[in-house]
Amino acid sequence: MTSTPARRPRPAFLPTAILLIGAVYCLLPVAWVVAASTKAGSTLFTSFTFAPSGSFFDNMGDLSDYGGGIYWRWMINTALYAGLGAALSAGLSGLSGYTLAKYRFTGRSVIFNVLLAGVLVPGIVLAIPQYLMLAKVGLTNTYWSVLLPSIVSPYGIYLARIYAAAAVPDTVVEAARVDGASEFRIFRTVALPMMVPGMITVFLVQFVAIWNNFLLPFIMLADDKKFPVTLGLYTLLNRGATEPALYSLVITGALLSMIPLVAVFLALQRYWRVDLLSGAVKA
Amino acid sequence: MTRSLGAKIVAIFLGASLVAACGSDSDDGDSGTTGGKVELSFWAWAPNIEKVIDKWNAANPDIHVTLSRQAGGGDIVTKLLTAHKAGNPPDLAQVEYQSLPTLVSNDVLADIAKETGDTKGKFADGVWQQVTLGTDAVYGIPQDAGPMMLYYRTDLFQQYGLTVPKTWEEFAQTARTVRTKAPKQYLTTFSAKDPGWFAGLAQQAGAAWWGVSGDSWKVSINDAATKKVADYWGGLVGEGAIDDQPMYTPEWNKALNDGTLLAWPSAIWGPGVLEGNAPDTKGKWAMAPLPQWTAGESKTGNWGGSSTGVTAKSKNQSAAVKFATWMNTDAAATELLIKEAAIYPAARDAQASPALAQPPAFFPAQTDFYATAKQIAEGAAGVTWGPNVNVTYQVYQDAFGKAITQKSAFGAAVDEMQAATVSDMQKNGFKVAS
Amino acid sequence: MAVVTSRRGRRTAAPYAFLAPAVLLFSLFILLPVGYTAYLSLRKVQVKGLGLGRGARSEVFAGLENYQRAIADSQLWSGALRVLLYGLLLLPIMLGLALLFALLLDRPRVGLRRFSRISIFMPYAVPAVIASMLWGFLYLPAMSPLNYVLDKLGLPEPNLLSPGSVLFSIVNIAVWGGVGFNMIILYTSLRAISPEIYESARIDGCSELQIALRIKIPLLIPAIVMTTVFSLIVTVQVFSEPLTVRSLTTSVTSTWTPLMKVYRDAFAADDLYSAAATSILLAAITLVLSFGFLRFVQRRAFGEDR
Repeated sequence: MTSTPARRPRPAFLPTAILLIGAVYCLLPVAWVVAASTKAGSTLFTSFTFAPSGSFFDNMGDLSDYGGGIYWRWMINTALYAGLGAALSAGLSGLSGYTLAKYRFTGRSVIFNVLLAGVLVPGIVLAIPQYLMLAKVGLTNTYWSVLLPSIVSPYGIYLARIYAAAAVPDTVVEAARVDGASEFRIFRTVALPMMVPGMITVFLVQFVAIWNNFLLPFIMLADDKKFPVTLGLYTLLNRGATEPALYSLVITGALLSMIPLVAVFLALQRYWRVDLLSGAVKA
Repeated sequence: MTRSLGAKIVAIFLGASLVAACGSDSDDGDSGTTGGKVELSFWAWAPNIEKVIDKWNAANPDIHVTLSRQAGGGDIVTKLLTAHKAGNPPDLAQVEYQSLPTLVSNDVLADIAKETGDTKGKFADGVWQQVTLGTDAVYGIPQDAGPMMLYYRTDLFQQYGLTVPKTWEEFAQTARTVRTKAPKQYLTTFSAKDPGWFAGLAQQAGAAWWGVSGDSWKVSINDAATKKVADYWGGLVGEGAIDDQPMYTPEWNKALNDGTLLAWPSAIWGPGVLEGNAPDTKGKWAMAPLPQWTAGESKTGNWGGSSTGVTAKSKNQSAAVKFATWMNTDAAATELLIKEAAIYPAARDAQASPALAQPPAFFPAQTDFYATAKQIAEGAAGVTWGPNVNVTYQVYQDAFGKAITQKSAFGAAVDEMQAATVSDMQKNGFKVAS
Repeated sequence: MAVVTSRRGRRTAAPYAFLAPAVLLFSLFILLPVGYTAYLSLRKVQVKGLGLGRGARSEVFAGLENYQRAIADSQLWSGALRVLLYGLLLLPIMLGLALLFALLLDRPRVGLRRFSRISIFMPYAVPAVIASMLWGFLYLPAMSPLNYVLDKLGLPEPNLLSPGSVLFSIVNIAVWGGVGFNMIILYTSLRAISPEIYESARIDGCSELQIALRIKIPLLIPAIVMTTVFSLIVTVQVFSEPLTVRSLTTSVTSTWTPLMKVYRDAFAADDLYSAAATSILLAAITLVLSFGFLRFVQRRAFGEDR
């Protein structure tokens, strides 16, 4: 991604400046959280917004002490919901996308179109009936109640299908068949390795989607030990109205919660195929 | 878990078709009696309430209470309704008084009249009325009360030569004086975000938003008393004598902390809020009775306050009532509630608790704080809440928000609340007397 | 011969077996709930008398009553109108900026490329609820750095949360959250284009601007269409941002957007049935909008597809 190595031409001024303005705009609220997370609760709303102070570690300590360290539990829960959920989702999408791309069978386009229409259904429409149904089988207020609905992702299947169509040549599949491999074995040992970058992309997209989905855990979970970090911070924010000391915990918590996601992205960005999302990979 | 999961998924399939058909009875609850030991689940939001629960659990090995912490009063109602529909509500829940009818009307709460015995005598009549809804049933044990009073900045009042207003007319005058003496400051603010606050102020003026006559409801949210209160505040906002920003925002915290706001008509729990929201103002506040509509009276309304309800689907109702009664009337328990959860107890004896002998830490100078408060509380009006307070409150926020931004009359906002409340009740088939 | 048939048999069964888990989960967690919502939308609760005491409520069939009420509800339509305005502002600004940044990133001789790219993309990793909190705090006049600076200069201070400006403030939150993701998509599409295509144009003396306008943008059209469709879907469902901002100002009502109304009906007003009807209506509108847009674009842009 870097430009030509040896002779670096002088950067053009205007394009660089415009991009930097964009970057500053995007970093502005982040700079605010960073500054705010260093302020003690009492000065949070009284000192100039961007002036940092020295209370970051106090805030960290308070946050860790709150509710017996429940914040870290929320972080672990989030990692579980988003990480495991996205991994399962990527696996399922991979298998389904491969099937839709590489097999010709009756009902293929019907199934695909119905799955795709699922993208259009707002989460709020689904959350209540999902709750009522899971409650019938006693699964509400469990990890499953957040994990299970997150596994199937119409968008993920759609992406995986495009990727499989482009990345897995028919000839390779045919050759494996001629060798006598079973259909599942072909998927697992031949197609799947070719689809890894696409799967990582689906994983990341789903990871963000689950991480962002506030309503589902909000409705499903009653026990704060099972909360993901977004829901936990929301309850803190809500109670901040009467206990403003919690605001500084919310802010510190928000900052810390952003770090893992950014880290995951930076770590995986070499593998993730954004061109998939733009439709540049042609089916 | 994993093994049974497959079975459960199948069950969802089978069950889902049934969900539609049967709305109520599902008995796969997880609470219950295991070997003589009763397990109770309890939803609440009061801070540190687990300390009270721990005390109970230590003393009662055969009735074990588990807390599930919730975000707040409004959220708890939502979740209780959903959990009830799904068939798995907790055994006990902390419920704000105004939410009781909504929950009762949805069959969420149990009538515990048989189990409560002589508990009634431990509460003031006005308080007890809120948990009976004016019927023979009992739907909860009162936990805390929120009689309203006026908090003001003694230092700033002195600086500007102000006296504590005894009537609302004096209050208006004081507000105008503040504007002339300190153009950047306001006496107080009118919040379109806090319907409970406005409801308390209206109660003080004698408003009775809901009432029961025979088998029909009477709704009079736009009665003369409420209109009077609305027009009064509307006038002050209109002429710019007071601020119109909502309460409970960081901006409002800042205004309290830096003295932009000089006074706050609030409730008994105010000191705790001020301590958190305006930490720099310690010792600068004092409390006085709310200004009166007629000089010489001593009336007030209630803002907030909650009770402990037992759910209709709980399998251990009598154990649950036992715990709820203990928590809200026992001397040791209420003392913990006062100290740890910063709750002003509803029970009469508890209001004389030694824990209340000292003024709140944030008001060190006002040594008679709780004695005064107890006196004020005597003048609190009784209330009957309706079955759709949630709708009324929502319309309050929208209608008053609009009235403030469009600078239109507050009286019209009250009419809007009345119309929306009645039409919602009628839509659902409640009998409403006109 | 026998071997072949059995293998062919397995081959025809395989796709169904492979799709079974997805179809099962999809049916359970999307189709069934949608169906259940549709069912609820045709029901309502009937209360007897005071509505207190046992069994005072019963659920009855309501026919299309909930739909009639939803369609006649002026709040719903003013909310819809607001979202329309919101979309008309958001989509061009967000996608325009995304396109601009993508083209600039793809241009030769740009400094700090990596820093800008990562910075602009970073908001994608911030959940909408948290993003709205951060911006919300920054909008509050007493905390806003903008107001601070204007105050120091003695200039009039705008209230970013007043009823007239709150829509723009929320658009800003959405732009912030969305521009990076779309930029990355467009940028990656640009990099997938073989550079030879515009190498000759460059030799012919075309400026970078001309190359961008005449060559790159036309080649990007499929990617732009894709990002528009997905942004459109997200726009119609706008919810978290106004809901969070609402806790800071009176300018946002509880029915500010249609989905907020659904939320209010279902949760605050405990009327699942109206909420169900409204959400079915919304889903239908979304469907029509996105398919309509795709159709329109297909006819205009891909009509002459070779």
